[in-house]
Amino acid sequence: MAAQPKKIIIDTDPGIDDAMAIFVALRSPEVEVIGLTTIYGNVYTTLATRNALHLLEVAGRTDIPVAEGSHVSITNNAKLRIAGFVHGTDGLGNQNFPPPKGKPIEQSAADFLIEQAKLHPGKVTVVALGPLTNIALAIQGDPAFSKNIGQIVLLGGAFLVNGNVNPASEANIFGDPDAADIVFTSGADVVAVGINVTHQVVFTDADREKLSRSDGKFAQYLCKILDVYFSYHHDAYNIKGVYLHDPATMLAAVDPSLMTYTEGVVRVQTSGITKGLTILYNKQKRFGEVTEWTDKPTVKVAVTADAPALVELVMERLMDS
Amino acid sequence: MCLCFVYTRMYIHTISIYKSLGLSVIINFVSFQLSKVWSGLVFSIIIPRMDYVMTNGDGEDVVIVENAQTDAVLGSHRDKLLIDTDPGIDDTMAIFMAFQSPELEILGLTTIFGNTSTEIATQNALRLCEIAGCSGIPVAEGSAGPLKGGIPRVADFIHGSDGLGNTHLPPAKAKKSEKSASEFLVEKVSEYPGEVSILALGPLTNLALAIKRDSSFASKVKRLVILGGAFFALGNVNPAAEANIYGDPEAADVVFTSGANIAVVGINVTTQVMFTVKCSMYSIRMTLSFLSGVFLHDPVSFVALVRPDLFTFKKGVVRVETQGICAGHTLLDQGLKKWNSSNPWTEHSPVSVAWTVNVKGVLDYIRKLLMKP
Repeated sequence: MAAQPKKIIIDTDPGIDDAMAIFVALRSPEVEVIGLTTIYGNVYTTLATRNALHLLEVAGRTDIPVAEGSHVSITNNAKLRIAGFVHGTDGLGNQNFPPPKGKPIEQSAADFLIEQAKLHPGKVTVVALGPLTNIALAIQGDPAFSKNIGQIVLLGGAFLVNGNVNPASEANIFGDPDAADIVFTSGADVVAVGINVTHQVVFTDADREKLSRSDGKFAQYLCKILDVYFSYHHDAYNIKGVYLHDPATMLAAVDPSLMTYTEGVVRVQTSGITKGLTILYNKQKRFGEVTEWTDKPTVKVAVTADAPALVELVMERLMDS
Repeated sequence: MCLCFVYTRMYIHTISIYKSLGLSVIINFVSFQLSKVWSGLVFSIIIPRMDYVMTNGDGEDVVIVENAQTDAVLGSHRDKLLIDTDPGIDDTMAIFMAFQSPELEILGLTTIFGNTSTEIATQNALRLCEIAGCSGIPVAEGSAGPLKGGIPRVADFIHGSDGLGNTHLPPAKAKKSEKSASEFLVEKVSEYPGEVSILALGPLTNLALAIKRDSSFASKVKRLVILGGAFFALGNVNPAAEANIYGDPEAADVVFTSGANIAVVGINVTTQVMFTVKCSMYSIRMTLSFLSGVFLHDPVSFVALVRPDLFTFKKGVVRVETQGICAGHTLLDQGLKKWNSSNPWTEHSPVSVAWTVNVKGVLDYIRKLLMKP
């Protein structure tokens, strides 16, 4: 008898690779998507909500609720970085899709997260693909949240590598460093997948070609929106392909065995020129003095990924749709 | 008398330790050459040929031949060097190595807090010059604390309260220079523009003050080799920061963005050498009568100065965080991505960051220099 699918809530800022990740999740029998919550990042939160609703309509899954998240960071910072140059001004490759028919639920993202975690204690996994404001608000809003939530699998951080917003910082953490520090030190079961790992998971021009030959609904849709994402990667990184940040993170929730992990304390720099820097202390070294990492709860941080298997699985799930 | 005693004791240490390690040592040397060899200033004297024959644990004879005669011709074309230092046990090793290098002319030492207070560092520097028979070398005292003020962080729990493993050597007879370290640095570099290299072994306060004092200082320094930082590696003060940079992050950021010709050796590189320390290194440590553990950070950065071929470097802009929990963190832009907008790294000059190290080459070099009697 098959195991019960894992309940997941996707906290997302769609986003081209968010769209891929959401579709992969919807095609993965190992997980049951019980809701989407939205956040700014690739786009503003209102557009993220609109895109989330749109993507669920494309997938024919309007049964899944969408809860709108915070419009500002946890420190009320509204000057947020929106990555229009990566995903197009509409977040979905400048395709000007018609507005969705559906509406988000009344509940805020944080309240939805708190409620679902309480309803299914230990059973809900949050897959967080954007800045961590909603998750931090849930942690602050309910002291039991970090216990109730089964796991938080998040895309964020650059561990021992340069960032992608600037040399210090990865985009999701940079989007709300204070929220990220709250999540990392919350004591919840956190799995962080940083760009040190997702940069190994490259979806090549050839992969895209293969995808375009598929009749799959999701495959066809994604091939339309991928142009902007490919040309950005070509310009910024000089690679013929795109990084599968969000789909790889999604698959870490679907099948954790596709990555290996280390465990340690992660703290986030919240000020200065390295704002958004993630520093992992894996406790292999002892320090003479008490540090800001001492006696904080540990999290798991992905260190290696089976990149070919991840790309293969993304391809398989999207083509068979 | 006192100094002679120190020397003799150190030498006997060397032999007895080799014996205890089952090594046989044959050393031919002419008496009283010690003080001459140590002297960076009296190098017209021809130093006798040195042969060491050691039998290592596997029974193989290892012959190290030192032909010091070649050194004698270097008299007038030696590379000028200033050492900014906080001695410090491993600083001491690096300083002795510099004195042992006939191709170098040591113009002076400047002192800084770090392993100990600046004041004690000055006394130690003077003493070390005397021990090495180089008491004529000027020692200029540096800043007592970091640029932003406040009490300096001093790691005397590592190096002993006197910074030298609590050996409490006799006080120095020589006096420190009248000039401050930054004044002295500016003066020497201006006297020989483009000719003076600097080895910075502690927090970078003096260098930053020199840069602030003279806007042409950075361009006039031939090469600045810095021991500091942890590049894509854990720090040693806390997970984010390495001790020298942590000692004065503001100064470090001033220096790294000064445009000077900089090579920086972080603990990501120096610790690689530390891990492979063998018995012979242990004996050197014993030779110097310092008992607090093997620290090769400073000697390794000295080697990066004189033998850069034993390292590979990555070029990029380095900035230092001065705020928050990661204060003292050194961050190199590896240049793997084209940034779409300006950030704190864009528009600064790149520096060379030591990336890999030929561990055996460096250890051999250190061993050779320190075993020179």
